[in-house]
Amino acid sequence: MLNNVFMKTLRDQQRSLLYWIFYLIAIAVVMALIYPTISKMTAFNQYLAQLPEGMKEMFGGAIVDYTSPVGYFTTELFFFMVPLLLLIFGIGFGANTIAGDEEKGTLGFLLANPVPRWRVVADKFGVLVVSMMLLGLFFWVGLAITASAMNIDISILKLGEATLGAVLLALVFASLAFMAGCIKGSKSLSMGVASGIGVLTYLLNTLGGMVSWLKGYRFFSPFYHYMEPNTLQNGLSPVHILVMAGLVVVFFAVSIPAFIRRDISI
Amino acid sequence: MNNDNIIHTVKLTKYYGKQLGIEEVNLEVKQGEVFGYLGPNGAGKTTTIRTLLDFIRPTKGSATMFGQDIRQSSVEIHSRVGYLNGELALWNNMTGEDLLKYLGNLRGGLDWKYVQQLAARFECDLPRRIQGLSLGNKQKLGLLQAFMHKPELLILDEPTNGLDPLMQHEFYDLLTETKKAGSTVFLSSHILPEVEKVCDRVGIIRQGKLVTVETIETLKSHSIRQIEIHFAKAIPKEKFNNVPGVRDIVVQDKLLTCTVVGSLDALVKAAAQCEVLNIISHEPSLEEIFMTYYNEGKNNVK
Repeated sequence: MLNNVFMKTLRDQQRSLLYWIFYLIAIAVVMALIYPTISKMTAFNQYLAQLPEGMKEMFGGAIVDYTSPVGYFTTELFFFMVPLLLLIFGIGFGANTIAGDEEKGTLGFLLANPVPRWRVVADKFGVLVVSMMLLGLFFWVGLAITASAMNIDISILKLGEATLGAVLLALVFASLAFMAGCIKGSKSLSMGVASGIGVLTYLLNTLGGMVSWLKGYRFFSPFYHYMEPNTLQNGLSPVHILVMAGLVVVFFAVSIPAFIRRDISI
Repeated sequence: MNNDNIIHTVKLTKYYGKQLGIEEVNLEVKQGEVFGYLGPNGAGKTTTIRTLLDFIRPTKGSATMFGQDIRQSSVEIHSRVGYLNGELALWNNMTGEDLLKYLGNLRGGLDWKYVQQLAARFECDLPRRIQGLSLGNKQKLGLLQAFMHKPELLILDEPTNGLDPLMQHEFYDLLTETKKAGSTVFLSSHILPEVEKVCDRVGIIRQGKLVTVETIETLKSHSIRQIEIHFAKAIPKEKFNNVPGVRDIVVQDKLLTCTVVGSLDALVKAAAQCEVLNIISHEPSLEEIFMTYYNEGKNNVK
């Protein structure tokens, strides 16, 4: 089973991955189970309708009908919770897999074997992508099964598309943390850079919805590309997907030469 | 370039920013020898090794192993080298067996019978998780993974760290066998007796510079010793003034202390004219040997 760096990294990840999958499924199931109760609370909609435009932007973007399935799942899951959880997992893993191993000293130990550095980077990045895809997949399956069982009127496919969007968003920042680790080899720095830029670009997108002079800069926020298409309503938007996927590819492409070129610290 | 050289460095220099790692190190390690790389902590031993293995890149100079450039051919070189790092860091979440199998897979397979033989010799508890192992037991795993694929060259950074005397002895035996089988060994240490015991030649590094490379015999003949001789009666100091190789003579009644460079022969013969109760010889410390070379270096400049 331990045939290469990919399998070894995946194995190290195994337990953490199982916990995360369990919690994500639990969240999906619980949120879908609660929905029928929420759907009867029509007073919510009247309250939301009174909010000023900027406040709406902060609580759910273009969603007005909170008690509809699309409105509910977008606000409660895809607007904040799911991307946040995936971001925490992704940034943590992205920073840990190269920089964390380097700080522990096991990276140098690995590199003494006949394994080229690019291969180490590629395998570890591969595990990052696969892990996040798995988290998304299980979350989607949990959500889809419960939603169907509860007869909730929502497209299973669009739930999957929204989940994929959240996974991609998280992958952008996870691969940013990964790249920072490849460049500098410090776990805390990588996590700091990725979460810092995450918070800033999140604010850029949210405030950009309220402050007119910021509007033109929203394009630079990955959160804009995640939220703007309102995927659960409209399905994936190829342009926004391409921007996020493009960033992931660029961060990965920079990681390899950055890691090949530099000194390993321990 | 001489093909006998398994390791050959030419003016190998590494600075960490402005801080000196090693400077203009010229090393030649020949096929089949056990080469000791001796120096105090922080002298640059590990820096040299990490440069050779392409973990860090030289600021200046170059090096080859097996006649191949360390930077261009690092992967191929690694496949022929067994390496034990000084500050051993293993994956704590796996068992010793999984660790060795994984490393074996990275090398394209292993002779597992041989691994088991080695494990039995070093009394390694392979099915146990590495996390719970003592320092010495981790070190034994480190040794196993370095030797298990029968590499042509072993690079061992402070290999006896944490080993008890019995296991040290086992390690020295394994080293001798490995040498007999034709492998080359590059071993760093700050313990002189260890190097004297197992090495053919020794390079001494101090403050990033290779001070000297000597055979063990030469090193010993250069060595300085503190000698105390206890006599039965008070002795006159003049008697020892002209004994070759003897310095810093202090006579206190029946006790003589002095410093001897190289052979003890002349001093012993001189002392034998009186009744000797005891001779105490203090083995030279590493620092004293360094001082010898250091002072000789200074004298040569004069």
